[in-house]
Amino acid sequence: MERFQKYYLSLIFLAVYSQISAQVNCSIFTEENCRKACEISNQAGEYQGLSLSQLAFDKAIEICPTYDDAYFEKSVPYLKNGDFVTWKILIDKAVELNPKEHLGYRAWCRYQFLRDYKGAIQDFDELEKYYPGNLGYSKNGDYNLYVVKAICYSALNQKEKAIQILDHLFKSKDYHFGPYDHYQLGVTYFESNQYDKALENFEKQSKVYDFAENIFFKSKVSKIRNKDYLDLKSLALQSYDEGKTMKDGYTHHFNKVYRKQIAEL
Amino acid sequence: MKNLLYIFFLLPVLFSCQSEKSVTVYPNQVGDIVFDKNIDHPDFKRCMDKDYGIQYYSINNSNGLQYKGEKFAIIQELEKLNLSSPKKTTGYITIRFVVNCEGKTGLFRIQQMNENYLEEKPDKDFSAKLLNFTKSLNGWIPIEIRGKKLDYYQYLTYKITDGKVSEILP
Repeated sequence: MERFQKYYLSLIFLAVYSQISAQVNCSIFTEENCRKACEISNQAGEYQGLSLSQLAFDKAIEICPTYDDAYFEKSVPYLKNGDFVTWKILIDKAVELNPKEHLGYRAWCRYQFLRDYKGAIQDFDELEKYYPGNLGYSKNGDYNLYVVKAICYSALNQKEKAIQILDHLFKSKDYHFGPYDHYQLGVTYFESNQYDKALENFEKQSKVYDFAENIFFKSKVSKIRNKDYLDLKSLALQSYDEGKTMKDGYTHHFNKVYRKQIAEL
Repeated sequence: MKNLLYIFFLLPVLFSCQSEKSVTVYPNQVGDIVFDKNIDHPDFKRCMDKDYGIQYYSINNSNGLQYKGEKFAIIQELEKLNLSSPKKTTGYITIRFVVNCEGKTGLFRIQQMNENYLEEKPDKDFSAKLLNFTKSLNGWIPIEIRGKKLDYYQYLTYKITDGKVSEILP
C-alpha cells in the first residue's frame, strides 16, 4: 500500500510540476520582507495547488501585503479546478495591487474559462490605458489579446467590430500571426455571410497551419456555393483523426468544431 | 523530488513563528473532494487511495474533457432536455466530481455564482436539474497513465443566461 501511495503521489507531483509558473526576479525588491515574500512565492509556485504551497503564499502575503504575485499564484489552482469564486477574489486583489501586470491575464481567463465576454472586454479596455496599442498575448501564447477581444465582440454578435479589430491588427507592422488568427477572422466573415473574405482567410490559415476546423469551413463555403465539398469534408475528417485540430488542455477554443459536426456536413 | 522534500521540511519553519494567529486549513491539493456520507453515494468507489486524483488538465491531450463523442455529445444531450429556470437566473453553475478508473462518476459538488463571480444561493430546482443531468452522463473516458488506472477530477461549468444554459465549459 505504501508503494501504491508513493506512486500516485509522484504522479500528482509530476502533474503539478508540469504546471510550474514563471519565476520572478526577487533582487528587484529593496524591502527585505518583500524580497523574502518573493522568494517564498517563487518556491511555492513550483508546487502549485498543494496545501503547503497555499500556506506559503499566505505567509508571503503576511510579510509583504503588497506583493501581488503571491495573490496571483495562490489564485491559479482555484481557476484550474473550477472554484471561480475564490479565484476571482484572489485575482482581483492581484489586479488591484498591480493592474499593469495582471489585467491581461484576468481578461484572458474570464474569456477562456468562463466565456465572460463583457467582463473580458472591460479588462482589455482598462489594460489599453496602460499599454495603448499593445495588449500582449494570452497566457498559453495562442493569441494576441486583441484577437481575444475581437472574439469577445464576435461572441456578443458584434461581428463588424470584431472584423474591424482583426483587420487593423493584421495590417499592423511586424505583426506575428498566431496559429488560429486567420481562422478566427475567416469564421467571423463567414458568420457575416461574406464568403469571399471568409475563404480568403481560410486559405491564408491553410498556409500557416491547416487544421480540421479550417478545412471544415472551407468545405462549408463550397457547399453553400453548390460546389463539390465532399473532398474537403473527407480531408477535414482525416485531419481530425490525425489530431490536427484546435487544441487546449484546459478548455475548448472558440469556434471549435467537433468531429460529429464535420461528419454531419 | 529532492527539492520537494526540502520544501516539505523547510516550509513548516516559516510558520513556526506564528503563535496565536489563525492559519487557514487547506486540503492536500486545492479542490480535493472528500467522501461525505450525507451526500455521496456509498457505492461510488475510488480506484486510487484516499482522496488522490489527478486533475483533468494533467491528462495528455485532455482537450478540456475526455468524453465519448467529445463535448458536443454533452451539449446535444443537454439540448434534448430543453432545461430552463423560471427565475431567469444569470450566472454560472459549476459541478465538480471525480471520474474513477472505470469511467464512473461520483462525489459531486456544486458552486453557483452570479455574473459578478459572487457565490449565491442555489437556484435549487434548476441546479438540481443540472446536477441530475451531470450525474446521468455516462460517456466519461477512464484514464490510464503508464499502465496504471487513475481517478481524476473533472468539472462542468454551465453558463446560464436568462434562465437557460448558454454554454458548457471547460
